[in-house]
This record gives sequence, structure tokens and C-alpha cells, in this order.
Amino acid sequence: MKVHRLVSTLIACGLLCASTLASAYDADWKRGRIYYRSVCTACHAAQAGGSIAPSTMTKAEWGAYLQKDKHAKGKDSVKQYVSKSYRASIRSQNKAADKFADLPDEELFEDLKAFLIKGAKDGDAPASCS
Amino acid sequence: MKISHLGLLASLLFAGIVQAADAPAPTKLNTTADHSKFKELQREFTSGPEVTKACLTCHTEAALQIHRTKHWTWELVNPLNQQRLGKKNVINNYCLSSGTNLGACATCHVGYGWTDASFDFKSQENVDCLVCHDTSGNYKKLQGGGQPPVKDTENPPGSGKIVKAIDLAAIAQKVGKTSRDTCGACHFFGGGGDGVKHGDMDSSLASPEKSVDVHMDATGLDFTCSTCHKAPAHDVVGSRYTPTGKDAGDAHIRGKVNKSNPATCQSCHGQTPHKAGAQPAKLNQHSDKVACQTCHIPQFARGGVPTKMNWDWSAAGKLSPEGKPMLKKDAHGHVIYDSKKGDFVVAENVTPEYAWFNGEVTYTLLGDKVDKADGITQINALGGNASDGRSLIWPMKVMRGSQPFDPVNKTLLKAHLAGNDDTAFWKNFNWEKAIETGMKDANAPFSGKVDFLKTEMYWPITHMVAPKEKAVGCNECHATGGRLDKIQGVYIPGRDANQLVNLIGWLAAGGTLAGVMLHALVRIVRRKN
Repeated sequence: MKVHRLVSTLIACGLLCASTLASAYDADWKRGRIYYRSVCTACHAAQAGGSIAPSTMTKAEWGAYLQKDKHAKGKDSVKQYVSKSYRASIRSQNKAADKFADLPDEELFEDLKAFLIKGAKDGDAPASCS
Repeated sequence: MKISHLGLLASLLFAGIVQAADAPAPTKLNTTADHSKFKELQREFTSGPEVTKACLTCHTEAALQIHRTKHWTWELVNPLNQQRLGKKNVINNYCLSSGTNLGACATCHVGYGWTDASFDFKSQENVDCLVCHDTSGNYKKLQGGGQPPVKDTENPPGSGKIVKAIDLAAIAQKVGKTSRDTCGACHFFGGGGDGVKHGDMDSSLASPEKSVDVHMDATGLDFTCSTCHKAPAHDVVGSRYTPTGKDAGDAHIRGKVNKSNPATCQSCHGQTPHKAGAQPAKLNQHSDKVACQTCHIPQFARGGVPTKMNWDWSAAGKLSPEGKPMLKKDAHGHVIYDSKKGDFVVAENVTPEYAWFNGEVTYTLLGDKVDKADGITQINALGGNASDGRSLIWPMKVMRGSQPFDPVNKTLLKAHLAGNDDTAFWKNFNWEKAIETGMKDANAPFSGKVDFLKTEMYWPITHMVAPKEKAVGCNECHATGGRLDKIQGVYIPGRDANQLVNLIGWLAAGGTLAGVMLHALVRIVRRKN
């Protein structure tokens, strides 16, 4: 029983370390700003009834929205629009998608999240969509 | 069961260790120093100078370098005419002058605590490292000394506006290179608001599209300010006080010593920048008379932010029937009247005016004689003409306005605008009191009389370079009534014409045609015969 606990503890520590390493990414809010304005805003303005300024929602609301990961009222996911495959599909017409074509999905998502939290209504620097 | 479970977990752990050993350690690739790992920065900071003190433990020369710059002194002597310039000395037709308004103006000083003459310019800890090197975008400074808010603070005092506290340690641990955001925190907001002063610099350049600026295009070349405005020993090159009118040098080459301004177009593009297109040689011929900016910046204020074009201080001070200050806005929501400041004209997508410019600028400074009878007073008269060999035709924002002057002493005036005291204009709307305080602080004479005269101030336009397909077309200048209609001293085909030469030309062409036709007619008639 003691051996079991010891090994389990070791494993838990190991997984925690691995998880910490994975989440150690230092999000780049400026990269998120470019992607939000050049990809999200560009598409929303052209096809989805208008752009959405980060400052229209609070940090908590953006956090919850991104956590749920439901885009267009659940028709698809937010992460889908940050994914490499999506970027590849629009890179010929969109310079931001082209510039960030090779970024890992998780990093770009964290960048986007950092910008939205920073630019939220109650964020450090409430931001417009352009 | 337990054994197999343990074995599985152990295998997973082993696999994880092996994977971790194979994977490269997470590394920041954009810097050689992760400031969050420095013990000096892993503490609570209760003031800006405390942070600077920590910075200086490694960057031992940085503050002393800053002390030598105009970002610190707000003063420089123009080597061409020995005028003492800089924000400390110049009077303009925006917020007039710094002086007693330092509490507000010096929020953009690269230091902590400059509110009056007692400020210690020799203190290294008074240098503000974070205002230029913050990468978090969260750094802020308060009016009235430029200190960062380490607790929630009402600022300006009595305004009811609460500035939220910032975490200095978190910001200090994320310092890095300067950026458009850090430079722009002051330079985009010159003149008291976004885009007010320059016309070619506003917050749209923080993350611009290519259509706004081809060099700073966030999804393209992504230049920062320092890409052009190099800063050897923290001294940023490319000042508007001593600009380069004509750079006749070649493109700068790495390793080669170049003492010319690195912020000119020619320092990268050279003297023959046009390599392709319809007539590259013809376009390159223009470069000895026309600044690159003249063709490549067709309009300024193109990023959706208006710039002020006219500021009439003589209209300031009107109050509502209830005795309250007023604000009036236009249909776009832009302020066009403010009791504190007067009438404004603001504009976007402004076509520049054009002038010969050789880089010489002569300011009208405090004490220089001005006279309403002379018409419009030039705040900064530009040098240059078609024949001096040092001038190019430049695009300009011309800021026009009306500002206070002393009709007895015939000088421009400094006014005490910002402050909570009895003489501040923005509190009591009394010009005489405000100017008496401002002039006393400057140790300059004031007769007690105030009048207003019209002024102009020139701003050479150099940012917001448009994509080449949006450059000014030939026929926009080579035509009567075109962009360069007022430019003197140079022959511009399409604009300029001599009636006698035109007549001779048309007669020659018509005579030639008539001769050919007559000759043809004779040949036809003779063949039939």
C-alpha cells in the first residue's frame, strides 16, 4: 500500500511538472491583437454581421467564452478558427493567417486569449476592434 | 491488478521522463535574458525609482546614457542657428508650452517626479526604464510627476477618475525592446490626445494594416520605431528639431560607418529607389527635387484617427448659462469646442500642403518680437528654396491657430493652464492670471495685456507611407491646380506653360502637318497627270 502511494505521488508530481512545462508558454498579446483584428474582425465585419470589440465583454465573460469554446452559438468551436488547418485554408487571402501559419495552435490560442483579457471592458487596456 | 496498475503508471512516468529528456527545454528565442529569473526583480516594488535601482544593478551605464539625451533634458541647441529648443523652451500652437504645466506635460518625460525646477536631473534612479521597455502594455504613469500608480489613485486629483494600480514587479519581469506601443504611448498622443499633433502618427500605428503604413504593417514588415530611429547609447536619432531635408547619401551598409541620419528613406532605399514599373528612370529623376514622402504619402491621418488642423485659443473660456465648461462635438463625435481650449478643426485623410525644405527650422521663441500687423506668425519658419541645392519639395501638415500674445511687449506668451490652483486657466478661465503665472515662472516680462494673433506651425510628414499602388499619380502634380500648384522656382511640365513658346510649338507642329499634307497632295495630283 505504501509503495502504491509512493509511486502514485511520484507519478502525480511527474505529470504536474509536465503540465507546468506545457503551460509555461508566455502568451504574446500583441500577436493575439494582430490575429484578432486581421482574422476574427475581418471575417466578422465581412460575413458575420459586424465586428466585436474586446471591450464589449468583461474578462470573466471572455474567459468563460473561451473556456466553453463554442463559436457561433455552438455551431462550431473558437479553436477551430485558430487552428493550423484553418490558417492554411485562408492564408492565400489573409496576411495574418499566412504570417502565423506555422505557430502551434495552443500558442496562438493563448495569444488571442491574452489580448482579449487585456482588452476586455474591465481589462488593463480596453481595446476596440480596429 | 494492483501490480499491473502500478506498472502502467510507472511506464507512463518513464515515458514522460524520456520524452522530457528528448524535448528541448522551453526557451525564449527573442531575448537572451528572461528578466523574470532575476532575483533583483522578484520582489514587491512600491515606486518607479525602486525598479530603476534594480535595473541599474546590471545595466550600470543606462541611466547616465539617458541623462545625455533630449528625452531626458527636453532641451537641445540647434547647431545650425544656436537656437535653444526642446519641449522645455519651445512655444507651439497646441498646448502652448510646458513651463508651469509640467505636472501634466511631464507625464511623458522619461523620468519620475519632474513637476518643477527642483527636479534632480542628476539622479539615476529618477530615470524611467519601464516607460520605454515595458512589453506587457500595462505600464501607466500618473499626471503630476509621472509616477506609476502602485495603488488605485484618483488622477488628476479631484477629477473623480480612478487609475487602477499596476504590478510593477510583473512589468519589470517582462521588460524588453522598445516597440510601437511604448514609443506611441507618448508620441501618438502629442498635443493632448490621440493623433492631435503630428498628423502622421496616432494610435492606428500601434498595429497597422499595410494600407496605413507599408513599413509598420503588422502582418508584413512590422517595423518598430527603432528600426529606423536607431538609438546608439539610448540617444534616439531623427529629431524634428533638426531634421534632414535632403539626404544625398547612399543606402547604409552594415559594417560601414555612416554618420548620416538613419531614419531617412535614402538610408535604406538609396538615391535610385525605383527599379521596376513603367518608367523607373523617370521616377528616379524626381529624387533630386522631390522628397520620397511627397509621392508616397498621399494623405495623412489615414488610420481612422483625426488630427487637429486648427486651434483657436481666443474662443476658449466660454461657459454654459449655468457657468459650467462646455464640450461640443461634431457628427462623428470629435470634440470641436472645449471651454478649456477653444475651437478646433479636426480632419482625417488630409492631403498635405507642399513646401521647399532644406532641414533648417527657425522657431519663434519666447522673447522674439511678433506683430499682429505682420499677418500670420510662423511658429517654425522652414528654410529652403528651389535653388539652394539642399532642398526638396516636402509634404507638410500646416497647423493653424490663434494664440495669446502680449500686444505691448509684442511677444508670444506662456500660460499656466493645468493645475488645481487659483491661476490655472483650466480652473478659472482667466487669461491674465494664467499668463502672469506662466510668464513669471519663465522669468519673462508680461505687460498684463493679452491679445490673440494667428500662427502657423509646419510638420514635415514622413510616416504613414502608403503602398506603392496608392502613391500620388503623375497627373496630380503635372497639371494646373494640382498638388504642387503653389511650388515656385521649378518648371513642372503640365503645370507650367509659356504662351509664346506654346504658340511657336503649335505653329511648328501645324506647319509641319500642313507641309506633309500639301506634299502628299502634290504627289497624288502629279501621279494622276
